[in-house]
Amino acid sequence: MERSIIHLNVADFAVAVEQTRNPGLKGAPVIIAPTGAPRAVVYDMSEEAFQEGVQKGMPLGRAFRLSPRATLLPPCPNLYERAMKALISKTLAYSPRIESGKRDGHLFIDATGTSRMFGPAVDVAWRLNREMKTSLGLDPVWSVATNKLVAKVATRLAKPFGEYIVGPGEEEAFLSPLPLEIIPGLGREDLLRLREFNLSRVFELRSLDLAQLETAFGKRAGAIYDGIRGKDVAPVSRAAEERECLGVDHEFSEDTNNGACLKQGMHLVVASLCQKLRRMGVHCATLTLVLTYSDGIRRYARMGLKPATASDFTMFRQCLPLLYKAWNRRIRIRHLRLVCDRAVPPDPQLDLFDDDTGKKKEERLINAMERIRDRFGPSAVAPGLAFYSAGQMT
Amino acid sequence: MEQRLNRFQDVVVGTSGYSYVEWIDAGFYPVSTSQKAMLPLYQESFRATELNYTWYQMPRATAIERMCARVAPGFRFSVKLTKTMTHEVVDSRWRGEVKRYRQGLDPLVRSGMLLAVLIQFPFSFNRSIHHRHYLAALVEELAGLPLAVEFRHDSWACDAVFAEFEQRKITLVSVDLPPLAYLFPCLAVVTNPGLVYLRFHGRNIRGWGSGSMQQQFDYDYSDEELGERLEGVITPMAAKAERSALFFNNHVRGQAPKNARTLMAMLSGQGPAKKA
Repeated sequence: MERSIIHLNVADFAVAVEQTRNPGLKGAPVIIAPTGAPRAVVYDMSEEAFQEGVQKGMPLGRAFRLSPRATLLPPCPNLYERAMKALISKTLAYSPRIESGKRDGHLFIDATGTSRMFGPAVDVAWRLNREMKTSLGLDPVWSVATNKLVAKVATRLAKPFGEYIVGPGEEEAFLSPLPLEIIPGLGREDLLRLREFNLSRVFELRSLDLAQLETAFGKRAGAIYDGIRGKDVAPVSRAAEERECLGVDHEFSEDTNNGACLKQGMHLVVASLCQKLRRMGVHCATLTLVLTYSDGIRRYARMGLKPATASDFTMFRQCLPLLYKAWNRRIRIRHLRLVCDRAVPPDPQLDLFDDDTGKKKEERLINAMERIRDRFGPSAVAPGLAFYSAGQMT
Repeated sequence: MEQRLNRFQDVVVGTSGYSYVEWIDAGFYPVSTSQKAMLPLYQESFRATELNYTWYQMPRATAIERMCARVAPGFRFSVKLTKTMTHEVVDSRWRGEVKRYRQGLDPLVRSGMLLAVLIQFPFSFNRSIHHRHYLAALVEELAGLPLAVEFRHDSWACDAVFAEFEQRKITLVSVDLPPLAYLFPCLAVVTNPGLVYLRFHGRNIRGWGSGSMQQQFDYDYSDEELGERLEGVITPMAAKAERSALFFNNHVRGQAPKNARTLMAMLSGQGPAKKA
């Protein structure tokens, strides 16, 4: 059965959300970036600022030289997350299969097989756009296609406002004249390599067969070969979103590069993540730590946990090296995010010898702390590691 | 019977859109028909269709060209005007939209497959001075194309409007709608002898204001109802016009092609199609 995939994309999501709070910002250049950080970079910008040359990740000083009239706003990730949740709740009325980014204004909706209830997918997309306009003040670009890849390219073409319908069977012809930069899955290095071959358009790259692509791209050749022909079988999946749900955040009250303070933050996120895991009855097998520095730059570090665990103490001991891996700049840190990338069921194998002095003791302590937190709130009790006072050794 | 066939030889019957997956379940398309294969199959039954998707999205010349190549030369398309010129009009932008629309439509005009540009206004588009000025400016921008205008609000049902349309050779679309207050009535008024146009939307009173297409256009015309329209509206209008276009918009559960086939059988004097 041919699929009907809707892609909604609120262009410049952070700015669009800020404009709903302050309509006076509409039509004016707006830059969102951390304030008070000398080396901050642009988090998001309005179309007007973009037209003046401002881009995401650009140093703030340079952005202001290009767009001196721009209004500067500090990023409010929680606000964008709430807006994202509101978008999702609107779409859930039409399909249970939704895939979204965390706070980027992107939503994929699989409307396959819903036409008897809601009518053609194009009508659903248009209605969603209208509902989002009237109830949330957001005007997403929308597209309808038979797969995610083509739908995403279509919204990129329609941006900053409008719609694009790619009919079934039209995928190849639709992609053919487009520049390769617009195709998802082709990174900067791929494009540089293709430029060396003097290939810049989709139809030009199509002249290469699979074997030739394998020479240049190795294992990824198959995906690229299909992608430029508008073929994509990836399902609309909540996996990415669910993975994000198994993550916890900690924002420091003041940006810091103090080791003890960072360890304390680390402990808080570990405790919170483990609590989530225990409630879901799973253990964490792979962890990712995301450090956001005060200038907006992010550093990632990832590791496998052996054995997989949901114990605060075990996880903290194991993942401390993760902090040192990601903490490789001299800039102060603003935000910590710890994500469980792979959750697995607890190992059913029992210990041969009952170790009452170690593991069991920790388990009892964790359970007792959990009961206290359930009754008196999450900050009612914490181990000493989670407390930091100025002057402590780092 | 021969007299009857001659009388309706320039009548084309079709449906509003052809690409509905649920028409496979309804038996109009064979099982596992891909959406790409629907148009060639559709033209085995009908000689014309309305393109609905152009209401959502501006037509693009390349896509229209590909579509023209998939149908026989005698097939006709009635193309809906995009929503940015009927439902979501922005004063500063609409003239530019008309230009883009005309460019997108160009392959149809050149191939002679364009039956009409269908300008369907919403119920909120009443006969206010602002709307009258807009309509006059819009038809001027679209001059040279065969225009068919459909109103939903009954304030437009007046002789002054008909006279203006007659003077400009614009087709006033006759509509079969649920019998609700303020909805445009079903009239047998011919304003353009070149083309008369009738749209059957169904008479689902409860579903009409639901906001859901699946309820709004869920209606199955009885043979009696179609017979009444044939005698009361189609016959007198067709007698005054060179060509007539009749489209069914009650697409839910394949009712549109079913009713369209019944009407075609009536037009050919064979009576209603027998149930399978």
